[in-house]
Amino acid sequence: MFHWLEKNPFFFALAVFATIAFAGLVEIIPNFAQSSRPLIGTTPYSTLELAGRHVYIKNSCNACHSQLIRPFKSETDRYGDYSLSGEYAYDRPFLWGSKRTGPDLMRVGNYRTTDWHENHMWDPEKVVPGTIMPAYRWMFVNNTDVDTAYAEMITVEKFFGVPYNKPVPMKDGSTKTIKMADTLHQARKDALAEARIIVKDMKHQDVIDAVEVGRIPEIVALIAYMNSLK
Amino acid sequence: MNKIYLWGFIVTASMLGFTYVSVLGSKGGFNGDIVNILTIAGAAALVIITVFVVIKYVRQMQTDTADGELVNESWDGIGEYLNPVPMGWAIIYLMTMVWAMWYFTMGYPVQSYSQIGEYNEDVDVHNKKFEAKYASITGDRLVEMGESVFLAECKICHGLTADGIDGTASNLNVRLEANVVKNAIVNGSNNNLLGMEMPMPNREFLFNAAGSAITDAEIDTVSAYVANGFTGKGSDVYLSACASCHKENGMGTDYGPNIAKYTPQLVVNVLNHGKKGVIGTMPAFNRLNAKQKEAAGAYVTSLSE
Repeated sequence: MFHWLEKNPFFFALAVFATIAFAGLVEIIPNFAQSSRPLIGTTPYSTLELAGRHVYIKNSCNACHSQLIRPFKSETDRYGDYSLSGEYAYDRPFLWGSKRTGPDLMRVGNYRTTDWHENHMWDPEKVVPGTIMPAYRWMFVNNTDVDTAYAEMITVEKFFGVPYNKPVPMKDGSTKTIKMADTLHQARKDALAEARIIVKDMKHQDVIDAVEVGRIPEIVALIAYMNSLK
Repeated sequence: MNKIYLWGFIVTASMLGFTYVSVLGSKGGFNGDIVNILTIAGAAALVIITVFVVIKYVRQMQTDTADGELVNESWDGIGEYLNPVPMGWAIIYLMTMVWAMWYFTMGYPVQSYSQIGEYNEDVDVHNKKFEAKYASITGDRLVEMGESVFLAECKICHGLTADGIDGTASNLNVRLEANVVKNAIVNGSNNNLLGMEMPMPNREFLFNAAGSAITDAEIDTVSAYVANGFTGKGSDVYLSACASCHKENGMGTDYGPNIAKYTPQLVVNVLNHGKKGVIGTMPAFNRLNAKQKEAAGAYVTSLSE
């Protein structure tokens, strides 16, 4: 019946490929589509959080810190619930990391606070004796690049349909809307408004003064991002 | 004798000889080890069987001639004999089908491996063990457990000696420091220290002995008074402004927490709800279980006793 196919190696190869590919489609796609959907309670990043994420990437935090908690008792005890793929729906790129020189940061927002991060980034040795993490003092001086964060927001909203300005379902049944500004000017104002909330819990006078006059030091954005990791 | 058998013997003998020299000759024999003996027996059997199976098929190739009925097919001149299906193969094929039916309907759905399932089992086993071993501990053992909880979770902010690392967090070796008391009086406080919403009013609603709002100087005095363990100046301000909720000796009431010393319940409430004060924000630690929180409470209480 299929002798004609057996005599045509090219079409035979195509047929084999089609058969295997179809099996793959049936088995992989539905499961993947389901699990990569944003989890209920997963929200897109706000302007300042996204800017903080850029600071995180710029300083290669992911070289030492993972953001992926495996389903082992020893890990969930230390870092919180194990990670699910839907939680990374708005991570572009994801920052799983491949090596833990420092601890996992997937849910660091649950158990560290603004003032702790401030102390720790200024002088890690003070709060964690013997740590090999270096101080990141330039973050207290350098300004955050809000413009690039806003550009990313527009891009992901336009091309990947990230639900900015739309209600996102939360775990308790309510909804939450993450705002994306209409103009760059407004985005800068939004980021500054977020920064003012963070800075209320900070003690570094230079940082407080900077936000007071409308600058956002990188540390503020980074802390906003850290606090959003839950 | 056929030349091929001669070669077979030569190859067998040389391979066994090589095995003997390399394993037994140089390492001093079997050393009475059953694993060594089995390994050598296996190696010898493998060599002998391989050599003679090869000989059998080489001889078959030398003498066999092709005959039998050809099937009615030809692929570029290559034909195929109409042989019956080998019995062993047929049996295995049918058994595979039976197994597949079992696997589709029972094996996979009921007994498949799941990483999360294994995790849940792990957690279950751990919790049962914890329950059996630690659920009823009290006294010194509870304090010991609290110390290990403290070293795992609390020392990152409060420091190894619980001194708060130079103002990074509260100093847990004393119940209250003057700046903490002052902040609570000036701004009020609502930290669920009693395990429920019970706001402490700010300075505008705290009155001194004369019945008017408490003054800056009085705040400083009473803060020092509380921080010094209810000694020194300031008892008159304390009695009028604070004692109605916290009692004369600071031991607290149903509607005012204990400000004279730590109690395990106080610490547990803080661990459940977190708190926000003059130093900073402390997150809730709900990943600790009830017993671990109780233990941490016992340890923190023991620090200032």
